[in-house]
Amino acid sequence: MTAVSTAETQHGLGPRLAALAKIVELGQGRLDPALVTEAAQLLLRAGDRLKLSSDHTVVALAGGTGSGKSSLFNAVSGLELSPIGVRRPTTARTHACVWGIDGAGPLLDWLQIQWRHRFARASALDKGESQLHGLILLDLPDHDSIRALTDHEAHRLIQVADLIVWVLDPQKYADASVHRRYVTELTGHDAVTVFVLNQSDRLTPEEQAECVADLEDLLRREGVAHPRVVATSATTGRGVDSLKAVLAESVAARRAAYQRLEADLDRLVLRLVKDVPELLRVEPMLDGARRAGLVDALCDAIGVSALGEALENVYAVRSADWVGWPFARWAARLRPDPLKSLRLGAVKDDIRGLVASSVTAQPAEVDNAVQALADGLTAGMPEVWRDGVREAARSRVDELPEALSDELSEVAPPLDRVPVWWWLLKIWQYLLVVMFVASLAWAGAILAYGVFKAGRPPAEVLGDVAVLPWVGLMMISVLGLGLFSAMASRNFVVLAAGKERDRLEHDMRRRVGVLAQDMVVQPVERELTRYNEYFGAMAAARR
Amino acid sequence: MRSAARNTPDHGTGAGSGDAVTEEPDIEEHPESPGEQTIAFRPIRDDEPAPELASSPSGSGGRLSAGSAADAIEDEASHEDVPEAADDPVRSAEPDGASHDAAAEKTEESESGPADDDGEQGAADAAYAAYTEDAQSLEDSADPEDDSKGAEDAEHTEHAEGTEDAADELDGDGVRSFPMPEPVSAALTEALNQLRTAVKGLHFGLDVPGSEEARKAQAAVLAQLDDYVIPRVHMSTAPALIAVAGSTGAGKSTIVNSLAGGKVSATGVRRPTTATPVIVCHPDDHEWYARGDLLGGVQRLEEPTRDAPPGSVVLTSSPSLPRGLALLDTPDIDSVVEEHHEIAHRMLDAADLWVFVTTASRYADAPSWSLLRRAKERGARLVIVLSRVPPRSREVVVKHFGRMLHEYGLGEVERFVIKETSVQDGRLPEIEIADLRMWLSALSVDDERRDAAVKATLNGVLNSFRTRLPALARHLETQVALRADLRSDVDAAYMGALARIDEATRDGSLLRGEVLARWQDFAGSGDLMRTLRLRRGVKGHQQGPERVRGLRAALRAGLEALVNSAVQQAAEEAVARWRQRAGAGDRLAATPGLGRPAEEIARRTTRTITAWQDHVTELIRTEGVTKRSVAKLISFDVESLSLIFMIGLLGYGATDAPAGAGAGALPQRLLRGLLGAESLRNISAKARSDLRARVGLLFDEETLRYVDALDSAGIPDEAAATRLYQATYNLEVAR
Repeated sequence: MTAVSTAETQHGLGPRLAALAKIVELGQGRLDPALVTEAAQLLLRAGDRLKLSSDHTVVALAGGTGSGKSSLFNAVSGLELSPIGVRRPTTARTHACVWGIDGAGPLLDWLQIQWRHRFARASALDKGESQLHGLILLDLPDHDSIRALTDHEAHRLIQVADLIVWVLDPQKYADASVHRRYVTELTGHDAVTVFVLNQSDRLTPEEQAECVADLEDLLRREGVAHPRVVATSATTGRGVDSLKAVLAESVAARRAAYQRLEADLDRLVLRLVKDVPELLRVEPMLDGARRAGLVDALCDAIGVSALGEALENVYAVRSADWVGWPFARWAARLRPDPLKSLRLGAVKDDIRGLVASSVTAQPAEVDNAVQALADGLTAGMPEVWRDGVREAARSRVDELPEALSDELSEVAPPLDRVPVWWWLLKIWQYLLVVMFVASLAWAGAILAYGVFKAGRPPAEVLGDVAVLPWVGLMMISVLGLGLFSAMASRNFVVLAAGKERDRLEHDMRRRVGVLAQDMVVQPVERELTRYNEYFGAMAAARR
Repeated sequence: MRSAARNTPDHGTGAGSGDAVTEEPDIEEHPESPGEQTIAFRPIRDDEPAPELASSPSGSGGRLSAGSAADAIEDEASHEDVPEAADDPVRSAEPDGASHDAAAEKTEESESGPADDDGEQGAADAAYAAYTEDAQSLEDSADPEDDSKGAEDAEHTEHAEGTEDAADELDGDGVRSFPMPEPVSAALTEALNQLRTAVKGLHFGLDVPGSEEARKAQAAVLAQLDDYVIPRVHMSTAPALIAVAGSTGAGKSTIVNSLAGGKVSATGVRRPTTATPVIVCHPDDHEWYARGDLLGGVQRLEEPTRDAPPGSVVLTSSPSLPRGLALLDTPDIDSVVEEHHEIAHRMLDAADLWVFVTTASRYADAPSWSLLRRAKERGARLVIVLSRVPPRSREVVVKHFGRMLHEYGLGEVERFVIKETSVQDGRLPEIEIADLRMWLSALSVDDERRDAAVKATLNGVLNSFRTRLPALARHLETQVALRADLRSDVDAAYMGALARIDEATRDGSLLRGEVLARWQDFAGSGDLMRTLRLRRGVKGHQQGPERVRGLRAALRAGLEALVNSAVQQAAEEAVARWRQRAGAGDRLAATPGLGRPAEEIARRTTRTITAWQDHVTELIRTEGVTKRSVAKLISFDVESLSLIFMIGLLGYGATDAPAGAGAGALPQRLLRGLLGAESLRNISAKARSDLRARVGLLFDEETLRYVDALDSAGIPDEAAATRLYQATYNLEVAR
């Protein structure tokens, strides 16, 4: 039965310790460093203790100077092992008495008990002591004398003992040094704490009852739910057997070590979760809306839509030079140019040069886009984790603008590009001009030869007046054709630019999406996963 | 005044007290130190051996050694209330008939009619009151007796007011040694008051390491000044307050009870036992303590109650105690009830002597030794009682304890040992405390000794100020320095942000992304050209080209992004810098919202940038006067031109880039052509500094949040430390 319950406890303790290890790993830099150190120490201690003899229970007699720890130690062990005295403080080194020495050596080594202060009781030989088999009783130095200010032996052993017996006396039972430093700190350790009111022979029975009641009261106020108080007197031997019985019970159960570790763990976890009122899980994957939001913001940072508009407009304007009606262009040239009058003709070249330069991403806007994503994601998260997610989101933000610019330059056509069909249309337009000029010349020839009889026409058609209307018609239709094709091709340009723009925006969105996934979303999601793991571990570390 | 009356008999210096001097030697009640003995104390000796006196607290009969003459005076005076009553006994204590005359005269002068009224009943009270201290009379008697008594009055007022000449007079009187205070110079009073103000004015707002201690130290100094130092320098050395202090369960109350010969303080097995301090004094001193110069701010209670307010003390009296002394039973210094420690320390700070009680099982406890260290630091006079010593181990323990004390530099301290013994009715057997009682009695009667003890403690306390006050001042300076550091951290962060913005608006990095695309759009689509129109014929005001709005918005968005990103970075940096400062910075950095810009920052940035854009447009409109030669030919759209200007200013960097520096300088070239180089430079400088100023203003608002957080922790007064040093120095000078 004992074995079963031990296994059970151990079973519960293992995963919780594993969870704590996870917390320590993930909490590095995010938790109070002192707390992390403490957790790491607890892990180390738990690992050590669980490896060592589980058949032994380390019981520490702790208390203030002069409360009779050594006397009690001797009374329980039945031997004069630890020196007692009237000088304060008396005991400077921890003494240990072991009932059943087998396998206790490593444990005593771990406890750092000196060889000469180790004593063994061959419990089998002792009458009536067999139930104490497996007990390692420690007589600690005091923790409250001036010597203890520089010697932390007692403090150290109080931290590692499986079961602590607080030896109090009527004079000192309410000392702050015990209660504030230890009892309050060790609340929740009820199962592994026993209080002994020693020197009870100094009190009358009524006084003793009052004392015990007062002590229990005090302990309850401090959060010890079920204080176990035993009144003893090391000098008269009264109550020592009750203490032995309490010890025997713990020793027989062989659970004190686990209970102690569990209690420590409980306490630590309580402090860990104190900063985080509720354990909230976050969705580790970014949802579509957030991704789209990020991509939109990044696209804005590089000006994709503005570029699209520019593409449309600039093409439309530039196409006039190529596919426009040449006559209209020539007419426009006749108008006076303000720039020329200012001798600023070079500005036009500048504009051409400007249009040729490629657009790059604006780093500040990229920054803000990433920032907004992190802020939106982390609302409600603890501050350290918000910072963590933000850092993750920003991890590659320095490279991002350049990467975006590279993508854009791959996708976006230069604004000063000239498509082949513009050339063809230009040739067609000039062809029409040539035709118009030719028909004009023809009409002139007909007028000259046919109407004014200026001479013999070199060819029949040049003098035939009857052809003249047809020539006129041809001129008009050539002009009309030019105008018409200019208008049509302009529409084609706009249409093509629109298509180009759509393609640009679509391509860019896709590429920006890929980039964002690589450089922002993935780090963020990793961090969110870590966050979830952390709180999962926290929940697991809790009981 | 009463003090004067009392002194004069001994001295013969006071006006109209000549008779008294001659009488004094005749008095048989003070055989040991006739010259030094004060009248007030004579009866103590007298009473002490006579146990029956103890039973009658008023102690009327036996004490009136002065005899019938005194009686008569008392009769006259007795009907009056406290102040007068206090007055009477002085006279009553005067030994004999001769003084009677003088006294009677005075009485008649001062208290003309009503004095005669009633006879006997007051005698006892008056006699009792005779032993209340001069200090009391100082305060109380002032009014009724104003003008009537010349010299005495002067002295009296001096007590109250600390005027100098009165002090001198007193000095003459005080040489005699009676419980007269040493003359308190006006300078000392002034110095103490100044010190008090200085200490009170300290404020430690920031939670740096050590500030909690500093706050406690400040409260302790203040309480000690109020409770002890200021009253004490103004009065005599009697009665002296003897604090009994020590660990819980050491038997403080038991010792007090035993000395008081009755159950004045509760004892028991419960720890901690005593919660409210108890003052026990001789009944004659009761009134003096009740009035409370010492521990002035502490409420007196008649008897201990469960729900006694924290700042109170039980005042009780017992005839078993010698006069001129009071025992103060303090709460423990080391139990779980931490309030007790504070009360105990406050009581100790107000005590003239410390009786430190420890036990055989406790004498090595750390708290006990920290109390001893405190006594040493404060220079308090100390005696040590080692109680509950088992008879068997007495030798060893006493020797060991003695050695420990010696090692600690307290080997000289007087020690008493009390055996572990059965306690009956909360009292120890008389034999156990005989030594202690002897010591008390000696202190009671031996003025010089008591005087020395009290003076030593007072001096010790004043000496301790030499280190305690500068420590406070130093801590305050740390706080001031830290605050300055924290403030400069914020400034540095935001200055850095401003510099980044400056940089970004100069190096052309703004001309990216959407701004560049829109600019290309604007320029490439011919709108740029369209903003320039030939001035010919009819010319209404033309609307800016359609793409102007887009460019303007893009430019605004770009600037906003720049500012927002800088603000974000600055907020993070400020907090990061604060985090690196120990304690206070860390805590302040945790103030919610400091790590990120204010909620409304985006809106404010928009407002700022829009305002700047409007301002630039306005600048172009008013100052951008076109060159005359140009104006004849061309008009331009102000809106567009200002945009071109902004692009030039922010996008291409320095405006005075040499002409023809390449394609990049398009706006400059254009603008220079339109406005002229001079004008362009002017406007550029103005616009740039305006942007800087506006963003600076925005940052100032942001900075304010940090300053508020700092201020909410309390603004340390930088001059306070100096004042404190000054006050400490003045005190030294005045002493």
